[in-house]
Parts: sequence; structure tokens; C-alpha cells
Amino acid sequence: MKIILPDSAIQQMPGDPVSISQILDQLGINPSGVIVSRNGKLVPEDAVATGEDEIRIIRIAHGG
Amino acid sequence: MRQEKPETGGAERCTFCAEAPVIRLKEPDRHLCAAHLIAEIEDRTARTIHGRELVRPHDRIAVAFSGGKDSTALLVILSRLLPSWEDVSLVAITVDEGIANYRDETIRAAEEVTKKLGIEHVCVSFTDLIGADLDALLVGRETQACSVCGILRRKALSVAAHKAGATKIATGHNLDDEAQSVLMNTLRGDLPRLVRISDADSSGCFIPRIKPLADIAEKEIAAYLFVQDLFPFLPECPYTRYALRLEVRSMLSAMEQEHPGTMRNLIKSKRAIEKYADRSGISEPLRRCRTCGDPCSGELCQVCMLRQSLGK
Repeated sequence: MKIILPDSAIQQMPGDPVSISQILDQLGINPSGVIVSRNGKLVPEDAVATGEDEIRIIRIAHGG
Repeated sequence: MRQEKPETGGAERCTFCAEAPVIRLKEPDRHLCAAHLIAEIEDRTARTIHGRELVRPHDRIAVAFSGGKDSTALLVILSRLLPSWEDVSLVAITVDEGIANYRDETIRAAEEVTKKLGIEHVCVSFTDLIGADLDALLVGRETQACSVCGILRRKALSVAAHKAGATKIATGHNLDDEAQSVLMNTLRGDLPRLVRISDADSSGCFIPRIKPLADIAEKEIAAYLFVQDLFPFLPECPYTRYALRLEVRSMLSAMEQEHPGTMRNLIKSKRAIEKYADRSGISEPLRRCRTCGDPCSGELCQVCMLRQSLGK
């Protein structure tokens, strides 16, 4: 599966079913600071990603 | 019929309908679809406004509008609540500090949003206010960026709000911002600031400030905008790295993850202190700046002190 990181870098991960929170944990990203979309749709952290899913991690905090 | 691949591992449906969830919220634990998330955020904001009497009939609300996510959400929500209030109007005010490779893009985003919502939009710059942009003012003193910018932004916003005939200034501070401020003021030992109530009347000296999103978490705001294709993908302010807030944000965010409710508890503590604190014994009485005449707590207001130190 394809993971798009907050800085737009792309990382590939195996397609085995895994929860979004596990992905964030593996990447060392605190879930409080991001929202995550799966194939363009926003999903909660207990959603599961698998196969060819495209996961995008969006950082939510920036100085205003 | 059950799908071969579940939509989610935790919950396949919104707690209130059959739609797929977009967010999981706690206290109480629930999964919300896009429609229920939008309804909940707008309802909670309306309740904050109503409960604290933040908006009154005939108010003209100046919305501090950077074009970032918090102020975008604030403007969208206020514009939707507007028909439920008697003779209330909105004006969006954007402050252009003059930050290269950052502010131009956010101003374009701000113009697009106000145009889409049909809201009057005013832009005011540091160059108009003090004769120089922030980048020029900060040469050799970059570590002071957030305090210099904060003082001038408040002044620019206040001047523009006065000019627009505003009776209230609404800012997009969210629950996370509020919790961070409590901790920052505590870490600095700044009790007067800790107990200051910004939506108090201030005896007519200042335009009262209101924070309608103070009960909404930053993540909820981001999700609220994302599901409506309104999330602004904008660059980060280049001076953010100098901010104490950045360290506090990271620390609190980690605490909230491990101990849900930490941020709400911090705000609860602040409200308890506010309730029992004798403000007259903590804060300096309000005076007038001897240079510009603006209300302040010392001999000079912060803007005039800053002008002196910058030689402006």
C-alpha cells in the first residue's frame, strides 16, 4: 500500500491488513496532530488499510 | 449485506446512521460520519456562543481571518449561524504581516473563501501600521518573532476592527490553543494573563474578543473542513520553529494521546482559578499609554514599547 506522508514523501508498505493507528505508530506520528484519508476519504484511526489502498497523512497544525 | 472488506476495523458505521465514519470521538466514545460530524461541530459552537452570550443582537463581528484552518472553520460556521441571529453582520479581517513565501498564499486562500461565502473582507498590513514588514523587523531578532508578531497583529486587528465598526472580534482559538495557553502562562508564571477573560467587557476600552471554537479540538476542526473540501493545504509559518508554543503543543498532544481529557482538565483548572481569583489583586489597573493614549497596564503600551526597541 502507498503511504503519503505529511511532507508529501511517499512510502510503500506491505498490503497486509493493518489499522491506521498501527501505521501511525510504526511511523512515530502522534495521531492527535494528523488526520488520515484512505483512498481520498477521511477515516478514523481504527479503520483498516489493506492491499493497494492509498493512505494520506495530513498534518493539521500550522501557525496561523 | 456484509462487505468482503470492512470499511473500518473499529466501527463500520456511524454511531447515529448507516454511513461510514470519518472520525472517532471520545467522552462519550462514538464514531461519526461526515454529516453527523458537521452537525455536531456546528451545534457545539452554537451552544458555546449561546451559553456564554458571545453574540448579541445588532453585533458587527470582525472575524480575525488568516485563511488557515481555524479561522476558515470559524468563518464558515458563523456564516451558517448568522441567519439565526437578529441583525448581526460579519466582516473578515486578514492581517498581512509581510512574511515571504507564506502569507501571500494564505491571503489568496482567504480571498477565495470570503468570496465563496459572500462576506466582506478587509486586509491590513504591518507596513501600513508600522512602516515595515515582519521579515524586515525581525532581522537579527528572529527568536522574538512570535512575541513581536503577536503584539503587532493584535494592534492591526484592533485598528481594522474599529475602522470596520465592529462590536466584537472573533478569533479561531480552539480547545488545543486554549489548553496550550493555560500551560504556557503557568510555565511563565504569568498569573495576570492566566486569569484574564478576553470576552469580558473591558469597560468599553477594548472591542471584546470572543472565541466561539474554544470547545472544539483542533483535530475536529481539521476533519470538519476536510469532509467539506474546505481544508486549506497551506505552508507553515517559517517562524513557528521559534515558538515556545511548539514545544508545549507537542508535549500536550502526547499527554492527550496517553491520557484523554488532559486538555479539557487544564481548561477546567483555569476556569476554577478564574472563579476564585481576586483579579484586582493580580492585574495592574488599566491606564493610558503616555505616547499613544491606548489602554494599557503600564506607562507605555506594548506597541509603543516595541516601536521604541525597534527604533520605529
